[in-house]
Amino acid sequence: MGVSLRTLRRERLTRRHMLEQIEGDGPSAQIALDREEMVLGRAADAQIRLSSSKASRHHVFFRLRGTDCVMVDNDSHNGVLLNGVKVHSAVLRDGDVIHVADSVFVYREE
Amino acid sequence: MPAFVTFWGTRGAIPTPASWTRVYGGNTSCVEIRFNDTLFICDAGSGIRELGKDLARRNPPPKTLHLIISHTHWDHIQGFPFFSPVYMPDMRIHVYGQHANDDHTCRVLSGQMSEEFFPVSFKELGARIVADHLHDGRRNIGGVEVSSFPLNHPGGSFGYCFAKDGRKIVYATDNELEIQPGELFPDLKNTGPLRRMPEALVQAVQDADLLIWDAQYDEQEYATKKKWGHSCCFSATDLAIQARAKNLALFHHDPECTDRAVDDKVESCRQRAARFGSPLIIRAAREGVELKF
Repeated sequence: MGVSLRTLRRERLTRRHMLEQIEGDGPSAQIALDREEMVLGRAADAQIRLSSSKASRHHVFFRLRGTDCVMVDNDSHNGVLLNGVKVHSAVLRDGDVIHVADSVFVYREE
Repeated sequence: MPAFVTFWGTRGAIPTPASWTRVYGGNTSCVEIRFNDTLFICDAGSGIRELGKDLARRNPPPKTLHLIISHTHWDHIQGFPFFSPVYMPDMRIHVYGQHANDDHTCRVLSGQMSEEFFPVSFKELGARIVADHLHDGRRNIGGVEVSSFPLNHPGGSFGYCFAKDGRKIVYATDNELEIQPGELFPDLKNTGPLRRMPEALVQAVQDADLLIWDAQYDEQEYATKKKWGHSCCFSATDLAIQARAKNLALFHHDPECTDRAVDDKVESCRQRAARFGSPLIIRAAREGVELKF
């Protein structure tokens, strides 16, 4: 059975980006990073909200760039750790562990 | 003003695109170091191509770039013809030699664009390429104190310090920190004493906020690759500890080194630093990661 070129292209252009919260506020959750830009922080307008006082209002951005997801620290007070070390920004890769305030997330791409 | 460091290529020897290099990257050496508007590019390995694309997206895009080449082996210059800013008429790119009349780097960059190797010649490039130089290994460039120091590599290589406003970033790749007679090698159990490093190197990188250092091999790999001009990661760690660097980025990953193997190197180096009571923060240089100091 053949696969159409259109199907192949759609499959190759699409990559799903997810954050899995494994520690922190509330129960563990799976969060789809499915917008051009999403913000994680304490502010009411943050798409991914944290209640910890260690989190800045708009702490970190997740931006889709091509098929990649880029994480950018918004000059937050306490910073962002990627796999245990501080970064300013990073193109994320499957399995990356992200610490923000008291919360820990695992980035998944599929 | 803070300093920003972005890794665009972290691999040594040859570009290595593979599923098992996806995390740390397969592009050869290229690191961007930025102090306010002064932008340095350390090496023009294949990673410089993505940097070129990124520069075009910036607002405003920079019009002056400072290209510092550690040495002219392929993996440090091969990306230059694919660096889109070299084709832009309003771009000015300074390429630095060690002293006045040292145009060696420019000549080699030009040579790799002769018709046997590439369809566009150096003379046809749109940008203004300036053969510039340090003054016997030192110069203030755009308010940044730049200094160089020689490294131990076949054919030679140079490391560079960039310092401004109390921040110091060191880029030093393709250097073999040799194991001295009497020192424990290979230290397979990671139980040996701190290796004593050459005082001149320790002085050069002293108190760096970030030390980007060649750490191509682990102990076992280095045993069969002595005199190849690259360091093992334990020696790089020991140098960083002695120089009281705050951060160490293991750099120039071997083309055979998988992402998992890079992780293992980082972990063993962290254990080593902890064993010596050092607060050194150790990571592996990874494509697409930007650090702020």
